[in-house]
Amino acid sequence: MFNLKKGVALLAVASALALAGPANAQTPPNVLIVGQIAEPASLDPHVSTAANDFRIHVNLYDGLVRNKSGTLEIEPALATDWTVSDDGLTYTFNLREGVSFHDGSPFNAEAVKFNFDRMLDEEHPYYDTGPFPLSFNFSSIEEVTVVDDMTVEFTLSQPFAPFLSNLASPTGLIVSPTAVEEYGEDYGRNPSGTGAFKFEEWESNQRVVASRNEDYWDGAPSLEAVVFRPITDANTRVAEMLSGGIDVLVETPPDNVATFEQDANFVVHEAVGPHVWYAMLNMNDGPFTDQRVRQAVNYAVNKESLVNDVLQGTAAVAAGPIPPAFNWAYNEDVDPYPYDPDMARQLLEEAGIEDGTELTFFVTEGGSGMLDPVPMGTAIQADLAAVGLDVNIETYEWNTFLSEVNPGLEGKADMAEMAWMTTDPDTLPALTLTSGAFPDEGGFNSSYYSNEEVDELVQQAREATDREERGELYKQIQQIVHDDAPWLFVANWQQNAVTTDNVQNFVVQPDFNLVLREVEKN
Amino acid sequence: MSETALPSAAAPQSGRLSSWQLLMANRLAAVGLFALSAILLIAILAPILPLPDPDITDQPNRLLPPLSPGHLLGTDHLGRDILSRLIWGTQVSILVGISATAIAALIGSLIGLSAGYVGGKADNIMMRLIDMLMAFPYILLALAIVAVLGPGLLNALYAIAVVNIPFFARNIRGVTLSIRHSEFVDAARLSGKGHLAILFTEVLPNVLPVIVITMSTTVGWMILETAGLSFLGLGAQPPTSDLGSMLGQGRAQLFTAPHVSMVPGIMIFLLVMSINLLGDGIRDVLDPRLRSGALNRPMAVTTIDRAVKPEPRKANAALLEVANLETGFRSGNRVNAAVKGVSFSLNKGECLGLIGESGSGKSVTALSLLGLVASPPGVISNGAVYLDGEDVLSQPDSQIVAQRGGRVSYVFQDPLTTLHPLFSVGDQIAEAITAHQRMDGKTARAQAVELMETVGIRDAQQRASAYPHELSGGQRQRIGIAMALANDPDVIIADEPTTALDVTVQARILELLQKLRRERGLALLLITHDFGVVAQICDRVAVMKDGEIVEQGETSDVLRAPQHAYTKRLIACVPELGVGRAFLDKVRPLFSGKGAEA
Amino acid sequence: MASYIIKRLLTAIPVIIGLSIIVFLIMAMIPGDPALALLGSYATPENVARINRDLGLDRSLPEQYFIWVANLVQGDFGRSYILNRPVIDEVLERLSATLILAGVSLVLCSVFGLIAGIVSAVRQFGWTDRIVTFFVLIGISMPAFWLGLIFILVFAVQLRVLPASGMYAVYGGGDLPDLLRHLIMPAVTLAIVATGVIARLTRAAMLEVLRQDFVRTARAKGLNERTVIFKHALRAALVSIIPVIGVQAGFVLGGAVYIETVFQWPGLGAMLVQAVSTRDLLLVQGGVLVAATLYVLVNLAADVAQAMLDPRLKS
Repeated sequence: MFNLKKGVALLAVASALALAGPANAQTPPNVLIVGQIAEPASLDPHVSTAANDFRIHVNLYDGLVRNKSGTLEIEPALATDWTVSDDGLTYTFNLREGVSFHDGSPFNAEAVKFNFDRMLDEEHPYYDTGPFPLSFNFSSIEEVTVVDDMTVEFTLSQPFAPFLSNLASPTGLIVSPTAVEEYGEDYGRNPSGTGAFKFEEWESNQRVVASRNEDYWDGAPSLEAVVFRPITDANTRVAEMLSGGIDVLVETPPDNVATFEQDANFVVHEAVGPHVWYAMLNMNDGPFTDQRVRQAVNYAVNKESLVNDVLQGTAAVAAGPIPPAFNWAYNEDVDPYPYDPDMARQLLEEAGIEDGTELTFFVTEGGSGMLDPVPMGTAIQADLAAVGLDVNIETYEWNTFLSEVNPGLEGKADMAEMAWMTTDPDTLPALTLTSGAFPDEGGFNSSYYSNEEVDELVQQAREATDREERGELYKQIQQIVHDDAPWLFVANWQQNAVTTDNVQNFVVQPDFNLVLREVEKN
Repeated sequence: MSETALPSAAAPQSGRLSSWQLLMANRLAAVGLFALSAILLIAILAPILPLPDPDITDQPNRLLPPLSPGHLLGTDHLGRDILSRLIWGTQVSILVGISATAIAALIGSLIGLSAGYVGGKADNIMMRLIDMLMAFPYILLALAIVAVLGPGLLNALYAIAVVNIPFFARNIRGVTLSIRHSEFVDAARLSGKGHLAILFTEVLPNVLPVIVITMSTTVGWMILETAGLSFLGLGAQPPTSDLGSMLGQGRAQLFTAPHVSMVPGIMIFLLVMSINLLGDGIRDVLDPRLRSGALNRPMAVTTIDRAVKPEPRKANAALLEVANLETGFRSGNRVNAAVKGVSFSLNKGECLGLIGESGSGKSVTALSLLGLVASPPGVISNGAVYLDGEDVLSQPDSQIVAQRGGRVSYVFQDPLTTLHPLFSVGDQIAEAITAHQRMDGKTARAQAVELMETVGIRDAQQRASAYPHELSGGQRQRIGIAMALANDPDVIIADEPTTALDVTVQARILELLQKLRRERGLALLLITHDFGVVAQICDRVAVMKDGEIVEQGETSDVLRAPQHAYTKRLIACVPELGVGRAFLDKVRPLFSGKGAEA
Repeated sequence: MASYIIKRLLTAIPVIIGLSIIVFLIMAMIPGDPALALLGSYATPENVARINRDLGLDRSLPEQYFIWVANLVQGDFGRSYILNRPVIDEVLERLSATLILAGVSLVLCSVFGLIAGIVSAVRQFGWTDRIVTFFVLIGISMPAFWLGLIFILVFAVQLRVLPASGMYAVYGGGDLPDLLRHLIMPAVTLAIVATGVIARLTRAAMLEVLRQDFVRTARAKGLNERTVIFKHALRAALVSIIPVIGVQAGFVLGGAVYIETVFQWPGLGAMLVQAVSTRDLLLVQGGVLVAATLYVLVNLAADVAQAMLDPRLKS
């Protein structure tokens, strides 16, 4: 019952330096305690799907490439450099020499091939260590070829510009083939990567502990160890932070951000993330088939108040489907719909919508990136009531919600909340705004938005290898979609984290990851 | 068990308070009723009270503290008026709680009634299904039901109802089972009534109070559970809120604006508390035993409330003398006398029979001697009990207790209920010894075995470890006598010691008492309704009727020439062998015109 | 006694089998599936189908059930879809946490419930009785999850004397004092309602028993009041109190769901709620199986204790 495994023994050694005992003991020096929002599902980055898990993974593993700290720009990691063929179909990576996994096995081209084949090839002997839910990020890979020990080549079936961003995402992290072979389906509890921290122990529902990788290729981190502690209840997480039980708090509830900002013992870190929070509008049946009605709701909802009051400034108002975090693809000229109830009433009148028209609004109770979905939905409901729209909210827990919304809103609802966190500006338009992504085609275009021009632009942007050129295309998409208004554009989340004031060099990454290799604690 | 019925039998109907008076007499229940009425009134009046619209949001003015201008209880996370939401939410919570209780009670009672009434296989299967529901962690079941049906207040209501069905089903089944074979049900069956008709016209009316009591004590619990589900986000859909969802939503602001969650929490608490207070009150009023005071905790010694304290009588005192004893039972503000000025005395080695029909006050007299009348409601209001000239009733409680089983000991009727069912008889006797004499357990146990032998139990050593239910009625009564003998008493008060026994055993027990009396020089006060018994062993006899001694004298004199009509009737009631029907003919005229007494 | 226990265990088997079928059916009726939980917004039909195939969820319901039973017979509870580990590992870990919490709560509520009930019965209608009755009513009228929040607010955040959540300190803990510090708030919160129920029942049972003829006999023997109440009356009252403590164990296990959520106690209840929302069928199945068995065992233990106490039931 008092599961004293070997890891705890190690912990005890580390904590020998620390104050033993009382409830509000300070956390030990040079060991960072992170308050996570949940127990990780798996420490196998290919198996996991939750941002919560990724916060651990990025510290245990490296990918071939990674996002430069504080940006969404690609920089080398396990690959030192790479070339892309002119047709955009072949990517060749030169791998870093002298890197080994924590289990001692060497990192090489075979290891890279093993990683992608395990995810993508159903015949692979370790395919059954899955399932690998996010492997579709790499579905454009036709073949992975070992050119020589330190060179690997990816052949794509079609040009796919987001490929590099996807490699930099947690699904592109490289696991140790030796460890997978050894542990099989239990690999997720016995992970081995090349990252800045080495996995030490995972005590279910208590903690995941990782210690400093002295041989890290990018320089050993300053922290001796990192402890990830799952605390699913937001209030409890805040309480732990206030009582000194943790050093880092992620996803602070909006209402508590101000508390921490005013307290000199804490530092609040923020970064705008590649995130969009919106309400999709059913363009197939009901009042939202009319563009004026769709624009009317965009005018009617006071988004400023939503982000500033309900979300307490933890988000910014969204203008369209492309979040500003993708600065190279963001169209500065498109402004969000202003709050203008009179304009909304006028548009509704023009469209012949009567006062008291009933709308059904699907609201979720939680879900990744959904922020405060119920208060948000309720506030939207109240704003729409003010312009004469009678909105009926139906709330569902996340799983049911997805099973209701993903097959399309037709015949069920007029509006539904949704939020996406992506790694590339391509993902959101491609999966939710193209004709090829209608629910019956296997996409998430549950609002049935269809505009040939957008379809065309999305395809062009995927094939363009030049970033400038891609950026221009996304800027055009932003303007068109903004005007067509298939969604009620609401917010872009600013990822936040709170640390105690003795934590240094802490940066919140726009990709929602928690990279701790540079962090120091005094 | 006739003794426990005494108080209510003794209390005339007119002295009883009405249900309403009883409920109001319970101060806590009255508070509950008023609080609940106030809450209900406010909730019902919600539409006409001057309240802001509960759904109007005003984000810039969110989380205002209580007592802000325009918002008495402040505003919530969307700037909505908490007072207004609280009142509307209370309405929803009450409605849901009551409806869920009604549904659970209806279905649960139907299952319980039919399972209990039909019995056998059907009962078994239904109860297994109920077991299944019970073994399922109940909140999980509710969660799963809501997940299947989809969220919403109505579905949460169904879930709560389903989860609570087992509770009702089990309770009602138990009661139904206990009256399934009662006389009136059998009678209805014999009269050719159909099963359904019996179930609804005979069984249901008798089960109904239990259903009402169960409901009144579960409504509060149901409101709590609904709040719990809403707290987890499965209940009311926005913008409507019940108290639980207000609390659940306010939880996010627990640290920054605690009032948002504290206010609905306090409201839930007040609501449930007032319901529970009232529910307890209703239960107390409806439960006939609580109402009669049969569940009052009896004190160690009967309340003694005498206007004058009698002087001790030193000179030529009898061993035991009872003077002008009055004992009654309190009901409301008045005392109904059960013993009205009884006097008698008992000398060393003498046997006095105290005879009368049940309800005549003879047992109460016997129990009054050492303050053993259950109190409340019993109270000794006058008179004295002299033991060697010293008034026992004037002594402090601890001393009265010390007299019991020492100089004076009791033998009771029906030893199956008067012996403790969970201790071995040897232990019970040994305990009687150690209560008065310092000795170790082993010695006490050995003495107990000796006593058992004295009262004629064979294999005493072995029988000593038997439990009362393992012995025959005669053996049990011998144990009772052995216990009374434990400390060599001067007086034994035997209250109907042979009534529960069959005739041959009865004779042996009387023989035993007689023998002990002679050998040990004991004085015996024998309480009985049977002149046959009196004739057999008593030197003198006192006849009691309606709490008074109507005739007293030498046994042979009274038997030969009874002075009082009542005595005549009692004597006539001793059946003689072979008389049969003629006996009834002889007795009938003596009772004409008089209703049978309970 | 042994044959009685075996008989009782045998009758529990159909209940548990029935329960497992109900769980399967309910889980099948709930919309959504584990693939959605895994994929989140990325759940295309194609991806969902791929994952269902990998998890074996594309088989028919009876087929899935029989595979589960066949594996179970061999001691294999299957793997959790979401947690990616053997169900039995997760369930046993969670079970030990729940047993600690529920066990301590049960002890607390039994002890305090009995004491409160006895005191209240002995001092019936006195001030002590009124005060106890009042507090008992407060206890059963209080939403436990709310009380838990207040406790956290007061003892963890304001006074900082107790840890807000979890079972062990992240650092420097892991020993018994650490566990106890974490246990106090959840165990007390969980115990409060049950304490009220047991106190009320004990009071009623004691009052009932104090009126019995055998208590009068005990008094007639000249026993002092303490012996009469604590030896004679209490012993007899326990016979009817113990089965209720058994039933309360069920409520404590059920109530643990809220408390585990509020206090982040890594127990079975919180796991089950999570598993239902992620449609982790095998985990729900394993958890319910264990919870139900626990319930059956606790009630059996209560019945056995009752029989030990009451020689009339033994025969």
